[in-house]
Amino acid sequence: MSFIVQDVNHGSIQVLSIPERLTTETSDELKKILKDLVEKGKYKLVMDLKDTQYMDSSGLGAIVSKIAVMRSNNGDIRIAAPQEYVMNLLELTHIDQIVKIFKNVDEAVNSFKE
Amino acid sequence: MSPNSANNDHRNFHYLQPDYKRPVFDIPARYKEDILKKLRSLYGKECSDFCAQETERIMKVYYAHKTPQMIEWEKSFDPAHRFTEKDVILITYGDLIRSEGEKPLQTMKELATKYLEGVFNTIHILPFFPYSSDRGFAVMDFEEVDPRLGNWDDILELKSEFKLMFDGVFNHVSSKSKWFQEFLNQNPEYIDFFTVFSTKSEISPDYLKIIVRPRTSELLSSFYTLNGKRLVWTTFSPDQIDLNYHNPHVLLKMIEILLTYVRRGADIIRMDAVTYLWEELGTSCVHLSQTHTIIKLFRTILNAVAPHVALITETNVPHTDNIRYFGNGYDEAQMVYNFALPPLVLHAFQNENAERLTEWAATLKPFSEQATFFNFLDSHDGIGVMAVKGILSAEEIEMMALRVLEHGGYISYKADGDGKVSPYEFNITWFSAINNEDAEEPVEIQVKRYIASRATALVLMGVPGIYLHGLLGSKNDAELVIEEGQTRSINRKNLNKLELFKSLYNPESTTYQVTSHLIRLIQIRSNQCAFHPNASQRVLHVSPSIFSVLRTATHNQETILSLINVTHKTFHLKLNVETHNLNGKSWHDLIEDETYQVRNRMLNLTLSPYQILWLKNTT
Repeated sequence: MSFIVQDVNHGSIQVLSIPERLTTETSDELKKILKDLVEKGKYKLVMDLKDTQYMDSSGLGAIVSKIAVMRSNNGDIRIAAPQEYVMNLLELTHIDQIVKIFKNVDEAVNSFKE
Repeated sequence: MSPNSANNDHRNFHYLQPDYKRPVFDIPARYKEDILKKLRSLYGKECSDFCAQETERIMKVYYAHKTPQMIEWEKSFDPAHRFTEKDVILITYGDLIRSEGEKPLQTMKELATKYLEGVFNTIHILPFFPYSSDRGFAVMDFEEVDPRLGNWDDILELKSEFKLMFDGVFNHVSSKSKWFQEFLNQNPEYIDFFTVFSTKSEISPDYLKIIVRPRTSELLSSFYTLNGKRLVWTTFSPDQIDLNYHNPHVLLKMIEILLTYVRRGADIIRMDAVTYLWEELGTSCVHLSQTHTIIKLFRTILNAVAPHVALITETNVPHTDNIRYFGNGYDEAQMVYNFALPPLVLHAFQNENAERLTEWAATLKPFSEQATFFNFLDSHDGIGVMAVKGILSAEEIEMMALRVLEHGGYISYKADGDGKVSPYEFNITWFSAINNEDAEEPVEIQVKRYIASRATALVLMGVPGIYLHGLLGSKNDAELVIEEGQTRSINRKNLNKLELFKSLYNPESTTYQVTSHLIRLIQIRSNQCAFHPNASQRVLHVSPSIFSVLRTATHNQETILSLINVTHKTFHLKLNVETHNLNGKSWHDLIEDETYQVRNRMLNLTLSPYQILWLKNTT
């Protein structure tokens, strides 16, 4: 499985499905996807982590690699459905304090509409 | 040779055993009175008389360890020149560099003598005592060297070339320490060494929420003792048990340890987490007056028996609270960590705009000729942001935090006391904070940007300090964060000696480029009395792109105008010397060895991206 980007809410929000493993082998690809999105002016992103079983530090870094540029353009990165292992990493690195985390993609998408 | 010089071999300054054949030290009356007064303010009249007698005894015991060489050397010690432009402090763990079969402190000595002599004159060896967690800051035995690092002889060997800075981790001890174990055993001697409660309800919610702490963990940690379950005060973690300074025996123990460190070679004592020393329910429990009194007491004791030893306070708190640790400039810490500097420099380079840094730096004033700032950008901890609350807006701090995340770093939070949390420090190496690994730009420009950022800490009044990973330009080690389970590990990677030495001698490596540039800057700085900590300082508002400071030596009026381009663009600067009140027609750049002449009242300068100019007035 690879990264899949879907437009929702008439293209104003993107949902990005993350593969089972997010490691040094795949994190550069994720960074490139995020770079392309911000270059296209897409600043509202939901990362769907429901299938992600394993993540290393490079994967974690890739997730937040465009967070400043997105937020400074009235957008954000929101995380949906992290599994226990990933959730522990987000807590350990305190990313859970700065990135909003939701149970599922629908909740994360709706949070942008509030 | 000057007593303030670091070029003395100070290994023979103390005996291992006291010499009681000599007359016992006669403590001057003014010190005795001062000590008694301070002890009375802490413990009242009845208790303080005993404490004063005991303090005097400890001081006399210490003095009996001093060798005649030291006593003679001290006679010409001048506290106003305790620190000079030669003082640059290297901050390192004792075991940051490792080599199989070698004691890490000996490996450190090898690096220091081969590579750092004449560059740094002081080494701050982070806690080198046996410990149970927090990379040394949960001390199990204050008076022993961790055998994994070496022994006291290895520490003493470093004194042949360097002054030494030791940590006084006086706020707390390890839960595995003998002191705490004896508390668990309910040994009467240790029963009041800690702040103990039977139930959580003994602290009202109103009191609890106003206590300021740098962590989000529970304040009270539960332990089973011989007499049942007890809750103890733990500001930092359940393994770091706060000492109860309401008990004078705790203070007396710490005075003994303070002077033990002096005997063992400390020239500077870093008072770790000193903000939290004294707890008092109903207050914020940070920087209370009793805490200041204890630091002042330590200063008095050192002034009396070891005046060459300085205290430095480590207080990651708002700038105005931080500088209160100078006291009146003569009676408390000789140095304070300049905590506002790192986040403001980072802000300048993140935004390519030095206005906020310039505005703040212009407010810095000397406290006295005996007190100065410790200008650091990085250390074993993160980049503290508490000091810039009130200088930068919450939105600006948040944007900095987001950029730190983008650069592969992490953010640590603290409890605000109102149930909320806010950023406490950024966990990232200084090189990674300043440069983005993902940016498609040449290494050369990253090195220039990095050196420019480091130059800010070299030009401001004070004593500069550089963490070893900062000297080397190390990048984040995010994987170690996951391995060790704490975000501060990102900046604490251990290095292999052979690999490090290879990098240090390889002109292609970033390590070589960073280190050689930085060492050159330090060497230039060390020969300029305009960079003496007491040299006057005037911050110039020349452009948001430029951070500019004018330093003038007090005794010979030597002047250096420092200009640092904080942007990636070439900047043409026309400086009106009359408007900026600059005397001198000819200015020589100490870095590029070029001379600039003033023509028609204007100094025309071109600064390439991230260029540093150190212009010395030569007319």
